[in-house]
Amino acid sequence: MPSTLERLAVPQNLDESILNHARRQELLDRAFELRSGRERPGQFWKIDLDALDFSALRIAAPSSPRISDPKKPGVIACDLATAAKHHARLFSQAFGSAVGVLNYKFAALAAALCNTGAFIYVPADLAVDEPVEITYNVQDGALFPYTLVVLDRGAHCTIIERLEGQERATVCGVAEIVCAENASVTYAAEQTLPSDAQSIFTRVAAPGKDASVTWCVAELGAALAVTSVDVLIDSPGVQAQLNAFFFPSGDQHVDLVSTIRHNVGESQSQTLIKSAATDRGQGRYVGNIRIAKHAQGTAASLRDDALLLSPKAHIDSVPALEIGANDVKAFHGATIGALDENVIFYMESRGIARDAAEKMVALGFFEPVLERFPTSALRDRLRSALEAKIA
Amino acid sequence: MSERGLRIHELRASAGGTSILKGIDLVVEPGRVHALMGPNGSGKSTLAFSLTGHPGFKVESGSVTLDGIDLLAIPPDKRAKAGLFLSFQYPAAIPGVKVANFLFAARQALHPGDLPPAKFRALLLEKMDLLDMDPSFMGRYLNDGFSGGEKKRLEMLQLAMLSPKYAVLDETDSGLDVDALRAVGESVNAMRASEQGKDTGFLIITHYPRILQYVKADVVHIMIDGRIVKEGDADLAQRIEREGYDTIREEISQIA
Repeated sequence: MPSTLERLAVPQNLDESILNHARRQELLDRAFELRSGRERPGQFWKIDLDALDFSALRIAAPSSPRISDPKKPGVIACDLATAAKHHARLFSQAFGSAVGVLNYKFAALAAALCNTGAFIYVPADLAVDEPVEITYNVQDGALFPYTLVVLDRGAHCTIIERLEGQERATVCGVAEIVCAENASVTYAAEQTLPSDAQSIFTRVAAPGKDASVTWCVAELGAALAVTSVDVLIDSPGVQAQLNAFFFPSGDQHVDLVSTIRHNVGESQSQTLIKSAATDRGQGRYVGNIRIAKHAQGTAASLRDDALLLSPKAHIDSVPALEIGANDVKAFHGATIGALDENVIFYMESRGIARDAAEKMVALGFFEPVLERFPTSALRDRLRSALEAKIA
Repeated sequence: MSERGLRIHELRASAGGTSILKGIDLVVEPGRVHALMGPNGSGKSTLAFSLTGHPGFKVESGSVTLDGIDLLAIPPDKRAKAGLFLSFQYPAAIPGVKVANFLFAARQALHPGDLPPAKFRALLLEKMDLLDMDPSFMGRYLNDGFSGGEKKRLEMLQLAMLSPKYAVLDETDSGLDVDALRAVGESVNAMRASEQGKDTGFLIITHYPRILQYVKADVVHIMIDGRIVKEGDADLAQRIEREGYDTIREEISQIA
């Protein structure tokens, strides 16, 4: 029997300016050596992420995402291959510098097979008011997108990444944010793939001193959605926010791991996660907060609420705080439960029928995290997507 | 045509296997204010929840009709549609659902299509002003992080916005300061003075008679140990204020 590794070779047609063939093959080999770090299949969680079979994957021909025009002179918004060719210095300084693709199984896979991507660069002290929208549309064959966002000193921008596709799509991607001192960035990811798709993402931000970075992640589609969201804090004064929600219905599985690494002190992070599951939906969330030994003056909070809407739905939720310093403010709170009958009765007593009341409460459950997402258009799309899942 | 009124006949109800209501007979008439008074544990809130159909309370026997509609045969939302309203002693908090959206959904459920959003909003602002509520309330999550007084004001706002035929106020006065109490009283009186509220019948459940200084009761019912033991006019409430429930207890035991 040929191993998965032997059968999955790097196709010849991938862009050599992003990574040359030899480097790609090296990363691919590495991807199959690395473990996902998510070994614990439990009573409900049956999927072994280290045994995922990629051997039958057909890798899509190189393509470009749709990128909205930032309408601001000096800002670069182009596909990744173009950036590698025409903005080689900016590209090569930033590419892989935050993610450390060699450390993440699925990031290594995504980089090795990268066949699409986007590059956004905002020069110093420039604010891009309009959000830049990047749309990856998975059509024929597996897509390996790599989004690289680079902000120079004091720059500001908002990115909205949309992931759409046809049935049975496979996507394995990376989003990497590198931002310099005083920059601020909000990156929203909207995953609404068909319910038989697979989506695996590694998202890492490395903010500079006094920079602020906000991740907003909505995992609504796919049969299997696996996401890592990380913020690496290696400078003081950072404000990191991580907002995410997921909602497996039908037979969907969602696996989300967030990690905030406070490697130096005097920084703040807030993590807010809302997850619900209905039908036979399965969810897993691990929320890591790591405060290093010398990271004094860190303030970190993690809030994680899970709502079970059917007896066969299941969510495992694990807040994991590792605190090495002694002068820190760290808070975590987690709840898990079904709809509160007293709340439903209260609404019924106002004439709202039970079905409508349950729907209203379930949608309301996501609202505190949804409100942190950028643009009313995005929030409305997400509300509609949630509503469609509850109906 | 069947008789009007919220008519409670021989109502027996239990919670967790314990019998609490032991045969209640009470008629709330349209346009009248009934006060239901009694010491803690006498079953007042059980009556309120039994009328509205809370799943935690079991009606064993008896009947309740609202203008001829058999309330016990229909679920809680249909009871509201029939015209019943309960002001909760402990209203539920619903994070993520804004006051204005909730009220609009409730108004739509009870009076479908009667108020377009703009008119609804104007009416809401008017009623909020009457209750000394800041317009920012509309955008807050329902009862989430509200103070006791804010919660009770919100109950009164719902009462005003939903125009029920019969309103049961379960200890709406408890835990309120004088200003909030006055606001509650004025809200009820304003409703009774309005065209759509003049026929609303009230059942005001209270432990203390002080709310009755603001809203005049036509009839006072005294409940002890799951039974209505005495009825009278507003003077009866004054007597409770002076003497407490003990002398009434003694009277009852002498009769028995």
